[in-house]
Amino acid sequence: MDWLRELAKRLSMLMHRRQFDDDLEEEVRLHLELLQEERFESGMTANEARAAARRRFGNATYLKEESRIAWGWEWFENLGQDVRYAARMLRKNPGFTAVAILTLALGIGANTAIFSVMNGVLLSPLPYKNPKQLVVLKENDSLPNVMDIQRQVRAFSQGGGINVEPMDYTGGTEPLQVHVGHIDAGFFETIGVQPMLGRFISPEEDVQGGPRLAMVSNHFWQNYLGSDPHAVGTTIHLDGHSYTVIGVMPASFSPPVEHADVFVSLWVDDPGGAAERDLHFMHTYWRLKAGVTLAQAQAEVAALDRRLAEQYPAEEKERKSQLVPLHEWLVGDVRPALLVLFGAVGLVLLIACANFASLLMVRAFAGRQELVIRAALGARRGRLIRKTLTESTLLSVLGGAAGLLFAKWGTSMLVALRPEQLERLSGTNVDTRVLLFVLVVSVLSGIVFGIAPAWIAARADAAEALKESGRNTTASKMGHRIRKILVISELAVALVLLIGAGLLIKGFSRLRSINPGFNSSGVITMYFQLPKTRYEEIPKQTQFRRELLTRMDSVPGVQVAMVSDIPLGGNYVGHRLVIDGRPPVAVGSEPLVQTLSVMGDYFHVMQIPLRAGREFIPSDREGQPLVAIVNEEIVREFFPREDPIGVRICWAGDLGPPRWMTVIGVVADVKHSGLNQPTDPAVYTPFSQSDERWRRFMTLVIRARDASPGLVAEVKKQIWSLDAQIPVGDVHAMDELIAVSVAQQRFNMLLLGLFAALALILAAVGIYGTMAYTVNQRTHEIGIRTALGAHRRDVLRLIMRDGAKIALFGIASGIAGALALTRLMASLLFDVKPTDPATFAGVAILLALVALAACYIPARRAMRVDPMVALRYE
Amino acid sequence: MHRDEIPPGTLYLLILRTLARSGEMHGYEIAHSIQQISENVLQVEEGSLYPALQRMLTKGWVTAKWGTTAGNRRARYYQLTPAGRKQLGVEMSQFERVIGAITRVIEAV
Repeated sequence: MDWLRELAKRLSMLMHRRQFDDDLEEEVRLHLELLQEERFESGMTANEARAAARRRFGNATYLKEESRIAWGWEWFENLGQDVRYAARMLRKNPGFTAVAILTLALGIGANTAIFSVMNGVLLSPLPYKNPKQLVVLKENDSLPNVMDIQRQVRAFSQGGGINVEPMDYTGGTEPLQVHVGHIDAGFFETIGVQPMLGRFISPEEDVQGGPRLAMVSNHFWQNYLGSDPHAVGTTIHLDGHSYTVIGVMPASFSPPVEHADVFVSLWVDDPGGAAERDLHFMHTYWRLKAGVTLAQAQAEVAALDRRLAEQYPAEEKERKSQLVPLHEWLVGDVRPALLVLFGAVGLVLLIACANFASLLMVRAFAGRQELVIRAALGARRGRLIRKTLTESTLLSVLGGAAGLLFAKWGTSMLVALRPEQLERLSGTNVDTRVLLFVLVVSVLSGIVFGIAPAWIAARADAAEALKESGRNTTASKMGHRIRKILVISELAVALVLLIGAGLLIKGFSRLRSINPGFNSSGVITMYFQLPKTRYEEIPKQTQFRRELLTRMDSVPGVQVAMVSDIPLGGNYVGHRLVIDGRPPVAVGSEPLVQTLSVMGDYFHVMQIPLRAGREFIPSDREGQPLVAIVNEEIVREFFPREDPIGVRICWAGDLGPPRWMTVIGVVADVKHSGLNQPTDPAVYTPFSQSDERWRRFMTLVIRARDASPGLVAEVKKQIWSLDAQIPVGDVHAMDELIAVSVAQQRFNMLLLGLFAALALILAAVGIYGTMAYTVNQRTHEIGIRTALGAHRRDVLRLIMRDGAKIALFGIASGIAGALALTRLMASLLFDVKPTDPATFAGVAILLALVALAACYIPARRAMRVDPMVALRYE
Repeated sequence: MHRDEIPPGTLYLLILRTLARSGEMHGYEIAHSIQQISENVLQVEEGSLYPALQRMLTKGWVTAKWGTTAGNRRARYYQLTPAGRKQLGVEMSQFERVIGAITRVIEAV
């Protein structure tokens, strides 16, 4: 407690420093006066007494200083002095100050922007209760399995699932499609949120035949329920059924991955689907009991998998449930990219700091004579170093502040560019963690990169420094060597970044040049779904589809067809394939293939080339022999030495007699799940021959000569002329879907490219600065050489050789560094090796050219040195 | 008139002892009192006295408050605190131990 009291006293002294000074002053004055009186009384004259008293008293300033030191604030007051002094110096050298601050601001700004993103995406906790306990099952699952896990796996305290389906919401001004989360009662309980109004669906209500109840999102409540505080208890209509609203979610809530506006019980809404053990369509979330590890839970789940596989061999034979922490699941894809980017901006900052140190070094030498004089007058070396360090730290803090502005601008740019995977980024802003980051980074760069120049400059050999104007002294040679090493490292780091960017650019261009298997330009897609109430039966669906396509034929300048799932649209339906005449495979382990339904000239409209056989024709319809078209991947995988045309196939697990379909054609492969994904084997069948009533959804693909906004309105008009109650959902240009599918790669490439460009500029400035300084230092020598008959090109060669040596060293060490580092970004590269020789060579040449160009400017100046002027310096 | 230096480390002791004897004193009085009682042998340098007083303030051995002198002038009066009184004991015993030791060394045959 004593030290606390003492600290309080010292602090109060600091607060009342002026009072302290006045008090001491007065005290000293009194003392002097009393001394003087004493002398006077002993018989001196007034003047003699005053002089004697002063002599006796000694140095009053020293006394005051010592008294202040007693309070231990000396360093603080000196700091203030140093800062004021440094600020004055910076104001007097605006050019130097601006370049130094700008250099650091670029480095710190870029770092801060990326750190903000990392902070928002990777470091901030998820907005759920105890988010660390939440885990996800990687594979979707069915409700019966979910219920078994809930009952049997004791590692979980809670668990639940959700599946989002579009449903028609009627009751507003026009029919709307809303995303409805079909959940079980465990879902919200597991996530751990509270409703803003009302309550959740209880386990007693979450049963087959239970009451039709709905929870709505805050967004839905605001937009369709008019933010009614009494919305609980009102009725909404979904797919023709009435649901009672029982709760409203808070605005801050959204499901971890899914987009949903309404939540209903799966048991109530779709009892058939809910009961099917092999319909694995729910995303499931689980909460670990306190103290239970992921590995324990995983072991229990694996044990349950084995029991389920034994119990239900037909449905659950291949179970392989895998648990992933929710946070990992959400950010796992972007983490490597963000880490690489963060490493890259770190390197940019290093280059910026190297330039900064180089600048400081030059400045420190320029101001060296002053330091020497100060040292000669008795300033301690520590104090001199501190003076220079204060200057560099002040600069770096100013740079950090300016960097924050850059970062704010940069972050909004990142948010604008962000790919879907970074959606959580929208919440990114500058918080205390980011501010702390900036402060630490800027103060550290000021101190770490300021200390070498300060130390070298303060090695004050007074005699040497005063004797000569600072040229060619030991310290200045040492400083120059350090600057060269700095520039070499800058070039090396810049090369690493450039190679990284080059690899991403090459990978991206390879990705973009991949043939998706269809021609996307000029194609518009439009998703919609037929309401269950009126289109439960397949003939009604077929009638609607056929009529719509007929009507669309009357629209001039367009070709229209429909497909169940468009490429890159994110939806996928698979079936297990049986090939007629092949030896039977164990139930449940037949090969999985993608299945698509089409109507109209789908392959024509999409320009998917036919490889063999024929396309569907209008007579391939209900009541006619069942037909199918397969893709080339099916041929490669299942008919490598056989003509598939005429072979009969069907789906495994169908009830009743097999519905054999005859293969009539082969079409080219289409990249359905992403340009960088392998093509799955796929089977196309006509919508009209389907026996799957749940395929009520479809996407119109429209190839138009000119895709004007009027076209979309026209298509909607045609749909609504058939049925005014059908909501039309997402309208996208096919080109846009392709762009979205490569957005993450584009994001990585743009950012790393930007950083590499920044690094290149900074490194170029660095080598330019060093060479210019060299030329300046050697003016005298060059003058003599010229006077002795050296040609201009000899001088040019002399300087360029110096620069080339630096560039070569830099490039060589950069290549070594890149060989070691680019491996880390292997997962971000598409179809490019991390050590791609062409990229390495190309980038090295680019950097060499830039470096030589940066040397050429000072070299030309050296060439023009007038020997008379140069020698007159002496 | 020759004056001796105050032995290093004993300034606190002298100030504390002086204040203990007379209650409140300002800086001049402390210096004056030490000089007089030592019969002009010990002279406190003002350059040491005031910094020492400041250090003693930070340590809480003394407190200071403004008052008026007999001649009706403002002066800062220093006063011993309980902590200062305790410190005086510490300094005294330390001093006596050292002096005793020195004496023994000198007087040893």
